[in-house]
Amino acid sequence: MLETTALTGHHDASNRQKRITQRMTITTDNEIRTGQWEDALTLVALNEDKLAYAELFKYFAPRLKAFGMKMFGNEQQAMEMVQDAMLNVWRKARLFDASRGCASTWIFTIARNVRFDMLRKKQSRKDDISADDLWFDGDYPEQESNSSEHWDTILMSEKLAPHFDALPPAQRMVMQKVYLEEKSHQEVSDELAIPLGTVKSRIRLALDRLREAFDDTRS
Amino acid sequence: MTHAVKFHPGLMLLEQYVEGSLSADVALAVSAHIDLCPHCQQLSHDITIDQAASLGEQNVSAHDEQQDWQQMVDFITSQPGLSAASVQRSNALPQVASVTVNGRTFEIPRALSRLAEKHNKWLQLGGIATAKLPTGEKQHVSLLYIDKGTEVPNHTHLGLEMTLVLAGKIVDENGEYGVGDLLINSPDDTHTPRTLADEDCLCLSVLSAPLKFNKGLTRLLNPLQQFFY
Repeated sequence: MLETTALTGHHDASNRQKRITQRMTITTDNEIRTGQWEDALTLVALNEDKLAYAELFKYFAPRLKAFGMKMFGNEQQAMEMVQDAMLNVWRKARLFDASRGCASTWIFTIARNVRFDMLRKKQSRKDDISADDLWFDGDYPEQESNSSEHWDTILMSEKLAPHFDALPPAQRMVMQKVYLEEKSHQEVSDELAIPLGTVKSRIRLALDRLREAFDDTRS
Repeated sequence: MTHAVKFHPGLMLLEQYVEGSLSADVALAVSAHIDLCPHCQQLSHDITIDQAASLGEQNVSAHDEQQDWQQMVDFITSQPGLSAASVQRSNALPQVASVTVNGRTFEIPRALSRLAEKHNKWLQLGGIATAKLPTGEKQHVSLLYIDKGTEVPNHTHLGLEMTLVLAGKIVDENGEYGVGDLLINSPDDTHTPRTLADEDCLCLSVLSAPLKFNKGLTRLLNPLQQFFY
């Protein structure tokens, strides 16, 4: 964050572009690779940087379109969603908060909300439930983090084995590396080239899924 | 507010909520539950991060990659960004509203605050009052107030009934429900919810079909089922 602020303060546009392009081509270093879109969003937020936005657009627009094609099943609506979502990315860049998650998560939620409101408007109701009602864009008050330590004994239980196999593949992969191969969260993040936050989220989700399964076997 | 939430929507509903594939009325009940439940706040946050990873995994066809996007980029970047003032507003804490019924004022969670301010007038029937939220014709979302020491006649659900406790407490044959608890009753469930002698209750009620009253004289209520629906 500090670095990009300094960067925009002292370098001209072409240098900036070069720097961004360099960052995009480095694929061996995960730290930088996972930070590129957050940096680009920061540049857009700070000074409506069109080059940084163009890079974001080039990556996300085709992916959002593919996503939209699956959801809507037609190109016209998919493109409408892409335009609305990417316009929000441009206009609301200042609302992006990297401490709450990475850029692709933020853009995913924007597209989800756009899609929801598009489908509602099609039914043309005025007083209606909107995406803003359903998905809070902000921070809930801090809560004490519940540790996952007491889980270790339950995880040993043989009864859980079949449920472990039934986890979604992405969650099972992370759990396997952390609990069976005893890797640190950071090592798993590096190995799978996913952000650290995603590793932690997938562990919590897998634990919760196992807890539901465990409670079911008890009752 | 020290009540620990015991009844949650469960992972499957939360996943569909995050995905945006739940029907709007059900999603609204889930969203209001999340406002009241730190556990599900964390879970839905994690599910969002997990699902968002699929965006990066989309297969992009060569056609889409090379499509001429320039016109769209030019249009978007010619638009003004958000003003500093609206950025400030959006960063505020969750908004809450309040409603007054039976001389009592209750705080309403964020998800419902905009709609609750526009609620229809309260309809009274004994110790029970109900007010519809303006959420479209096909949806039956209402605030349900039950005075202390009152029983809702035994009924069956012709569709899905979701009840979220917003204040106070209700009990039925299956247990006791406090603030944040989400009761989900399917067409097979029959129950007789009531309040305790010393505490009234405000709930959010989402119904996908009218209630059907089962017993004796209360069967006469069936013509009044519109009252709840």
